[in-house]
Amino acid sequence: MNERVAIVGVGWAGFRPATPELSYKELMYDAAVRAYTDAGVNPRRDVESFVTVAEDFHEGVSIFDEYVPDQLGAALKSMQTICGDGLHGLATAYMLVRTGQFDIVAVEGHSKASNLLTKDEVTAYAQDPVLNRPLRFNTHFVAGMEMNRYLYETGTTRAQCAAVVVKNRFNALANPSAAYGADLALEDVLSGPMLSTPLGRREVADHADGAITMVLASEQAAQHLTDIPIWIEGVGWCNDSPSLESRPWGQALYTTQAAQMAYRQARINNPLQVIDFAEVDDIYAYKELQTLEALGFFRPGEAGELTADGFTTPAGELPVNVSGGSLGWGHLFEATGLARALEVVLQLRGEAGVRQLEDVEVGLVQSWRGIPTTSGAVAILSN
Amino acid sequence: MTLLKRNPKAPQAWQGNLPVTSRYTFGLGGERFFRAIKDEGKILGTHCPKCERTYVPGTIFCERCLGKLDEWVDVGTTGNVHTFTLLYENYDGSPREEPEIIAFVSFGDGGIVHRLGEVDAEEVEIGMEVEIVFKPQSEREGSILDIAHFRPII
Repeated sequence: MNERVAIVGVGWAGFRPATPELSYKELMYDAAVRAYTDAGVNPRRDVESFVTVAEDFHEGVSIFDEYVPDQLGAALKSMQTICGDGLHGLATAYMLVRTGQFDIVAVEGHSKASNLLTKDEVTAYAQDPVLNRPLRFNTHFVAGMEMNRYLYETGTTRAQCAAVVVKNRFNALANPSAAYGADLALEDVLSGPMLSTPLGRREVADHADGAITMVLASEQAAQHLTDIPIWIEGVGWCNDSPSLESRPWGQALYTTQAAQMAYRQARINNPLQVIDFAEVDDIYAYKELQTLEALGFFRPGEAGELTADGFTTPAGELPVNVSGGSLGWGHLFEATGLARALEVVLQLRGEAGVRQLEDVEVGLVQSWRGIPTTSGAVAILSN
Repeated sequence: MTLLKRNPKAPQAWQGNLPVTSRYTFGLGGERFFRAIKDEGKILGTHCPKCERTYVPGTIFCERCLGKLDEWVDVGTTGNVHTFTLLYENYDGSPREEPEIIAFVSFGDGGIVHRLGEVDAEEVEIGMEVEIVFKPQSEREGSILDIAHFRPII
């Protein structure tokens, strides 16, 4: 068995609202080649197993994993596609290395959202076909109702949610890869059109295309490959009861459980004390606040006020979504979790450019699979 | 039309689609739940005596202890708005002038998602007591659409 697992290579491509000149395969190929180069591995010779994350309806083909091996260098090799977020993929790749059967494993996630011309209908197809879908509501209603209950239970305000948008899109201005950087005032967010009350249109991440590949290695292999391995100290994932009829509407218990699983492995008792920064879900602005509370950084109702006070800015005590998050980077479908992990890797390596945080040693990544799911994952990384 | 489509020099792409039609069997629990709506205008749940939880809509298993449930209970047709939203987009993402008013109303330890009608949008609030308005029995087909909407109890 391999006790420790490190991320030894990262590569990414795209991160734009549209990539009309590239096919999804070329986008994946770009990111993969960069990751293999970064790791100093030959994919055909050195990478022993491959994991990708994809959803057939997002890809526009059935049995998508038949479309994966070639562009990753995985043909005639051990590979699998899992239906989950990129962090679920990272967890799977981590476990493959932990088994001792493989020393070098690649994990890939991508989004070609610009090619999906009926996004709303595809998302609505995830609603319960018997109880909910016949009502023909746009699926954003799930976020609107969840936000409403979250605000009600915690006393969080709409303005505090809007502060997340202002922060993250401003952070994105310092991230050359982020498509949606902007210098907004709170009022710009609040005065926008309503989507699903109390949720405003400007509190929702727009989609983007992009691909990310990461190379994971056992401790022994990592020592040969890199001077700055980024260690995976813990991973956790959890699904709550998915039905709208039996889920708790105000809290993200799945994130709490996923975090506890990851904290146990990483031996973290007080996350705020140990973790230097975090990249967490912000597909809808309120989710960042709800998530920070679910992760145990703050008590319910505290995240909004602390965010409005600047606690989670890059200069604050717990920088959150320095990358710009989904609001700044764009919503990358299943690649979202890997995009967040990418930022944590770059920060821990000291390669984050002008947005580099000082003296960071431990970073947290969290991801959610989006409406209408109750599915989340958490990873703890260190340098 | 997107900018990409308007640009004659835009890169080439093939467009494809797929008719997707599936049958979703209600199952034993769903059958009983929807029959009670259609034939009797009742909302049925199932009670787990071990976990002391009442599932609405009724299911044949408890998701907590995974025990089999066979204690069906009539939970009435009035409940409280647990959460709600005014939705300004249609199913396909196109904008709506007038919002859909949607509520999750608690029944037992579960509840039902549906439209809220016969109410001004500004008056809706969490905790508000509402009742189910069923379609006339002759128009019911045994589906969630047999419920016309919720309306406030005045």
